[in-house]
Amino acid sequence: MKNLKKMIWALLMVPFLTSCGYNSMVELGENVDAKWSQVENVYQRRADLIPNLVNVVKGYAAHEKETLQGVVEARSKATGINVNADGLTEDKIAQFQQAQQGLSSALSRLMVVVEKYPDLKANENFRDLQAQLEGTENRIAVERRNFNEATRAYNTYIKKFPRAIYASWFDFEKKPYFKADEGSNQAPKVEF
Amino acid sequence: MKNSKNSTPMVFRASNVFSKLGVIAFMLLLSISVMAQDIPSKPNPPRLVNDLAGILNQQQVSQLENYLVQFAKETSTQVVVVTTPDLGGTDKADFTFKLGDKWGVGQAGKNNGIVVMVKPKTRTSNGEAFIATGYGLEGVVPDAIAKQIVENDMIPRFKQNDYFGGIASGVQVIADITRGEYTADEYTAKHESSPFSGIIGIVVIFVLVSFISRGSKHDKNNMGGRGSSLPFWLMMSMMGGSSRSHGGSFGNFSSGSGGFGGFGGGSFGGGGAGGSW
Repeated sequence: MKNLKKMIWALLMVPFLTSCGYNSMVELGENVDAKWSQVENVYQRRADLIPNLVNVVKGYAAHEKETLQGVVEARSKATGINVNADGLTEDKIAQFQQAQQGLSSALSRLMVVVEKYPDLKANENFRDLQAQLEGTENRIAVERRNFNEATRAYNTYIKKFPRAIYASWFDFEKKPYFKADEGSNQAPKVEF
Repeated sequence: MKNSKNSTPMVFRASNVFSKLGVIAFMLLLSISVMAQDIPSKPNPPRLVNDLAGILNQQQVSQLENYLVQFAKETSTQVVVVTTPDLGGTDKADFTFKLGDKWGVGQAGKNNGIVVMVKPKTRTSNGEAFIATGYGLEGVVPDAIAKQIVENDMIPRFKQNDYFGGIASGVQVIADITRGEYTADEYTAKHESSPFSGIIGIVVIFVLVSFISRGSKHDKNNMGGRGSSLPFWLMMSMMGGSSRSHGGSFGNFSSGSGGFGGFGGGSFGGGGAGGSW
């Protein structure tokens, strides 16, 4: 008898839960998770390009060992940090971002060094890799923006009035954003 | 005490005013730069060639447009050419992706759109070119290929101020590469059904005309009705049917030679490459 009552209650709750936006909260939350995995994908794509790039550069600029070593190390550091979409917290995103940022700056150091080797710059393989790397950086920017947009949609939704009260009952917490990279809002300095 | 209190605020106030002015100027600047970041809005009616920088002449625009409309009809892949006088305060890649997303270039499910963006060189700024590939074409036109198209086919001509030549040969290469990737199944379906419905229309008209002429032979004052052996409502429905199928085939024909139907809502994920000169 008690069970029956509970079931009836549950059934009565169904329209209430759908109308209060529970389903939308689930959908928006899932969307954030999906966008996060896209972000990880494009970063992984960049990491996958690096062994090839390092090999090609090695062939022409073997004595730039330090710079190459820096890239390899930064890569392994960056690929070592994986953040699950379920466990997204501000700290974890910051950690992830820092490691990836380390790889970015190692790569840009490498690209500066490469300028000294015209033969390498003329190498077709290298040019292709460079184009792919640029494309990957573009994709990273796009996917990060998409992730932040999805997160904003989710956060605004759960913070709006009726839902702000009961969102936390169902464990819908605010999700963290990607922050702009340090120094990315300043144009890079060019020194001659 | 009072004296010092009076004199320092004077200086203070002056600097305050200056800093306020500075803030206002800064905000103005900010608002201008924010305004400048606007991506050009979707052309209405939709066009595939948008010469916003005014570097092509009328004939060149329509030549490119016709080629690209035909290509979009055959393959459903939409290649959009945009020339712009400025990049709206962002960089060429970002500008091109945002434009592609905003306009929805390519079909929604396939994301098979390409945006070819050209910002002509001016006395104060470099020329910039970028090819952005939709999600669905990243496999056929990898970034390295896009880069080669920009660097080998486009920029050398742009350097000689031959904007049309550069754009046309870039577009040509893109079309050649992507031709096999997507086929316009909707288009072929329409194309296959249209001659058939046209024949039905002709047959119906023929039958109708023969009935009417027979009816009018019987009784010149009577349009169908009693004179013809067909009831009036059936004749009307046949007429309606015939005109409908005829209208359909005519619509197909006109869209075959006419304008571009509209953007499909494709999206861009950061594929493509560019260069500057």
